[in-house]
Amino acid sequence: MEFLRGSIHNSIAIALCYSLCFPAPIALAQEAAAADQPSAQAHSRAQAQREHRQTDISDHLEGDERILQALDRFTFGPKPGELEAVRQMGLDKWFDQQLHPDSIDETDLNARLAQFPVMQWSTQDLLYRLPSNAMIRMAINGRAPIPEQGTLHAVYENQIYRTQAREAAQEEKKDNAAPTPGAAAANAQSPAMAASAGAANDMDANAAKTEAAAGTATMAETQQDMNNMAPAASDQAPEVSEQQIQEILKLEPEQRVLKLQEMQPAEFESFMKALRPPQRQALTAGMNPGLRESVEDLEHPEQTVAQELFAVRLAHDIYSNAQLQEVMTDFWLNHFNIYLRKNEQMPYYLASYERDVIRPHALGKFEDLLEAVAHSPAMMIYLDNAESVGPDSLASQRAKMGMARRPNAKRQDPPGINENYARELMELHTVGVNGGYTQADVIQVARVLTGWTVDRPQFGGGFQFNANRHEPGTKKVMGTKIKENGETEGRELLHFLATRPATAQFISRKLAIRFVSDDPSQALVDRMANTYMSTGGDIPSVLKTLFHSPEFWAASDYRAKVKTPLEFVVSASRASDAQIENYMPLVNALRQLGMPIYGCTPPVGYKWDAADWVSTGALVDRMNFALSLAANRLPGITVDWAPDLDMSALDSDEPAKQVIPTPESEETRLEPMLLPGGVSATTREAALEEFQKQNAQNSAEMTPVSERPAQMRRANRAPATNVYQREDQLLAGLLIGSPEFQRR
Amino acid sequence: MQMNRRFFLHKGALAVAGTTAMPNFLVRSVLAQGVGAPGQRLVVIFQRGAADGLNVVVPYQEKNYYKMRPSIAIPQNQVVDLDGFFGLHPSLASFKPLYDQGKPLYDQGQLAIVHACGSPDMSRSHFDAQDYMESGTPGVKATEDGWLNRALQAEDTCNCAKHRDEHTAFRALALGADVPLTLAGKIPAIAISNVNNFTVAGRGPTPSPAASAFEAMYADSGDRIFHAAGDETFEAVKMLREANPAQYVPASGVNYPATEFGNSMRQIAQLLKANLGVEAAFTDVNGWDTHQNQGGVNGQLANRLSDFSASIAAFWRDMGDQGANVTLVTMSEFGRTARENGTAGTDHGHANAMFVLGGQVKGGKVYGKWPGLEDAQLNQGRDLALTTDYRQVLGEVVTHTLGAENLELVFPGARLSRAGFLKLV
Repeated sequence: MEFLRGSIHNSIAIALCYSLCFPAPIALAQEAAAADQPSAQAHSRAQAQREHRQTDISDHLEGDERILQALDRFTFGPKPGELEAVRQMGLDKWFDQQLHPDSIDETDLNARLAQFPVMQWSTQDLLYRLPSNAMIRMAINGRAPIPEQGTLHAVYENQIYRTQAREAAQEEKKDNAAPTPGAAAANAQSPAMAASAGAANDMDANAAKTEAAAGTATMAETQQDMNNMAPAASDQAPEVSEQQIQEILKLEPEQRVLKLQEMQPAEFESFMKALRPPQRQALTAGMNPGLRESVEDLEHPEQTVAQELFAVRLAHDIYSNAQLQEVMTDFWLNHFNIYLRKNEQMPYYLASYERDVIRPHALGKFEDLLEAVAHSPAMMIYLDNAESVGPDSLASQRAKMGMARRPNAKRQDPPGINENYARELMELHTVGVNGGYTQADVIQVARVLTGWTVDRPQFGGGFQFNANRHEPGTKKVMGTKIKENGETEGRELLHFLATRPATAQFISRKLAIRFVSDDPSQALVDRMANTYMSTGGDIPSVLKTLFHSPEFWAASDYRAKVKTPLEFVVSASRASDAQIENYMPLVNALRQLGMPIYGCTPPVGYKWDAADWVSTGALVDRMNFALSLAANRLPGITVDWAPDLDMSALDSDEPAKQVIPTPESEETRLEPMLLPGGVSATTREAALEEFQKQNAQNSAEMTPVSERPAQMRRANRAPATNVYQREDQLLAGLLIGSPEFQRR
Repeated sequence: MQMNRRFFLHKGALAVAGTTAMPNFLVRSVLAQGVGAPGQRLVVIFQRGAADGLNVVVPYQEKNYYKMRPSIAIPQNQVVDLDGFFGLHPSLASFKPLYDQGKPLYDQGQLAIVHACGSPDMSRSHFDAQDYMESGTPGVKATEDGWLNRALQAEDTCNCAKHRDEHTAFRALALGADVPLTLAGKIPAIAISNVNNFTVAGRGPTPSPAASAFEAMYADSGDRIFHAAGDETFEAVKMLREANPAQYVPASGVNYPATEFGNSMRQIAQLLKANLGVEAAFTDVNGWDTHQNQGGVNGQLANRLSDFSASIAAFWRDMGDQGANVTLVTMSEFGRTARENGTAGTDHGHANAMFVLGGQVKGGKVYGKWPGLEDAQLNQGRDLALTTDYRQVLGEVVTHTLGAENLELVFPGARLSRAGFLKLV
């Protein structure tokens, strides 16, 4: 949060001052090149030398450490072999390629993303085909269509059954407890509110349980006509026999899905409940992604959306070769933070927000990104601008007239301004809290943005400018007049904000904190802000300035940033070349480590400095994650530590060919793979020492060293872990949990 | 390596003179009469997002309250009356017995309320206001430690000989994934999100080889930050294993809500009862930023309040007679606008209400001067005006619980005096 606290200096003065010595850092960073260029002006060389003296040259990284610094900062951590690959290609060329993600081959990533076809759908399609709880309630009320046949019909049927069963249970509970007067009426009055409060999701069941009470209670009244359809909570669910389960599991994948679709909702519910965990896995075994999704949709369509949203995000972070684009996507998703459970539609909108709004603009002009975010339904809903209405707008006039006609109507106030987005647009998205605006400016910005709303959000509609809601008249923001001009006012405002020197400072400082250090020098920030101003907020240019700045290559900052939980989990997955079928263990680990994906409630997003991520509890969780990942204890995630051993050599009787791995030799092999920058002797010794102690203790039960090849041969036949694999798993787990791996 | 200042202060072993280090003559200040008792524990709850104090503790006799909040006001006949002027939101009904009755354990109600209270800084930024409130220095951005950490420091420097001589790794405890600013500083603080999972590599009675390897690795590490965090981690893990908090199940008949906040309160009770040496515990509860459709008797805010009050009431019943040595205090960064906004919600305001609950609290009363809600009485024409600085309340609480007498150390620049105490403890 340093960037929020730090005072913003007079950036114009600094920019002017800086422009005098602009070529210096570039000349410095490209020392060798500059020396060969006769065209380099004597003036700038003198400047470079002056800066040389100021910055201790011995503090600068050299050779492979430069590559590792770049990989640590511009990617989510090096993969095995990546150091060598960048060495081959040349660091400058690699960086340039990272700035042009379209030129990078993503065959592997795309194959993995193919597992999640629905993430390519529009928000509208997603909401219709994987209905939210709100959608199901609308379907019950006849306010949304129920698909007539096929999987989709079954999905709706199942969900309607569940919703009604839940409500019946709620009713029963209510009857037993003392009823709160007026509860049903108040809820029925504002279904939107109930919907937003009722974001039930199994993955956050604890938090959702109380909230869900409101959502389900909403239906209490409207549902009375449907009492005949609604099952009572105490109804006996149909029995499902083990034999039935076995029969269905024996079917071909397509037949299995058909069978599930044919089931009555109550039967389906009982069937799914009766499955034991291995049977649940067997149910989708051998299915292609489409069929597997069908089963998940039948069961819990809403959860499928959130899970795939998480999976697709992590798949990009871990497997994309355009790593800088993903690091920047993460950076902007945090900068323009949105909370997943703002309401029931949000997970649906977030798929498009990440895919269409943030990632394509992650390495573009800041103003384009700001525009795209402001035009995204997700942001308009998250920060409530979708609800904001000008007090003197046509919509407000009409509401007043309506109220005059119906004086007894409950709601007496005409709709009006909501300042939430206006404030955060300035405080968090552009100029920063010290960016020179007042409360009056917040209200003016809110007026400019009235009418920026979303078309029928319950069905996943898009951005809409509603002129009827727009506040008429000229507005004045931070001393600048914005003449009445409908939606164009907002565009003018965004342009105005995107081009402020305070914005250049704010964004540059935040980038410097992400890429360089928790406490970046003002000189670096000024240099980046200067590039921002001279290139119209071109983010790749700002990053180039950072890349060519001596501060980026300071040895004192090498491996000095503490990894955030996301950086830790993703870098561990990359370093161990984990093959991931199921991303949920990573999603859960991030929740436990305090950084759930799309889980930051306030708009400020997660913090980036060490103080927030190093604590006693977090260390425990990091160590446990490291051990679990390395030992293949995360379901659906496979790591393989085995070297490409010539197994025939082990079977051979020729002693010379018997390669017997020792803990030391395995450590020597695993360390550069997981931490190409190496670990301290202390860490290495601590890992090996306990390891040997354990071996000594267990030698009675475990195989003596002399018999290991035989043991390995046996293990080779059975896929169960052998003694070497267990050694490797423990070593790798210790290395991933080591202090060195917690930094980048 | 760049050392983050806040973290630097947080790790006691490395501590240099902090921003708030005081000369000795100030340590022996005018507030030298100690009343803090050993064994007292303080629980601090932060409602993040700015709770709407006017709908939490409702001034239901104010006509303008109903005029300004046509769709979200709590009707007079729905409030849980406190004193004929203020009433609790109906979702806080479980607070009413705590406010009214002391028996059988106490002579008076244990729940006190301070209204029109909060940080005097006018910031309407959640993040600045939270930082100000947590650092305890409104308007000063440079402060990098929290008031609660300094209160523990003040306990150590007090001359009253009543403070504890030995402290454990659990002395300053945060329920959650990280240490909040409130607890950051020289005194090491620990953050735990789940008591049951707080062990490395398995739950056995002895440390596993992996745990021992990690312990050696971090103990000998040259990485100062992780070395310090590692030391605390393994000490805490060991203590927790020995104390086995799993045996401290909630008292019979006590049901915590199955929510994040309910879980946090349950675990705080567990850790307090396990006698691990907790002196100050902190947790937070989110979801108060009700800009839109906040609801009245029911709805968004009502749901938050149900969880809030049910969790705290369960905690209080669970602590039983141990509650005699517990004080719990709640706060939120600022209040919300007195008028509802155009979207049936409220925007960022100013003064708010605080709850103080404890065995030694003089409860059953709404403290503080009421500024009124007429248009002319509002702060900047839009919010409940502030009449009590929250530091005045906390100053009194830490003096009585932790024995933190040097209030100039805890709240530098606030110039708190005993004369200004509300006498609620």
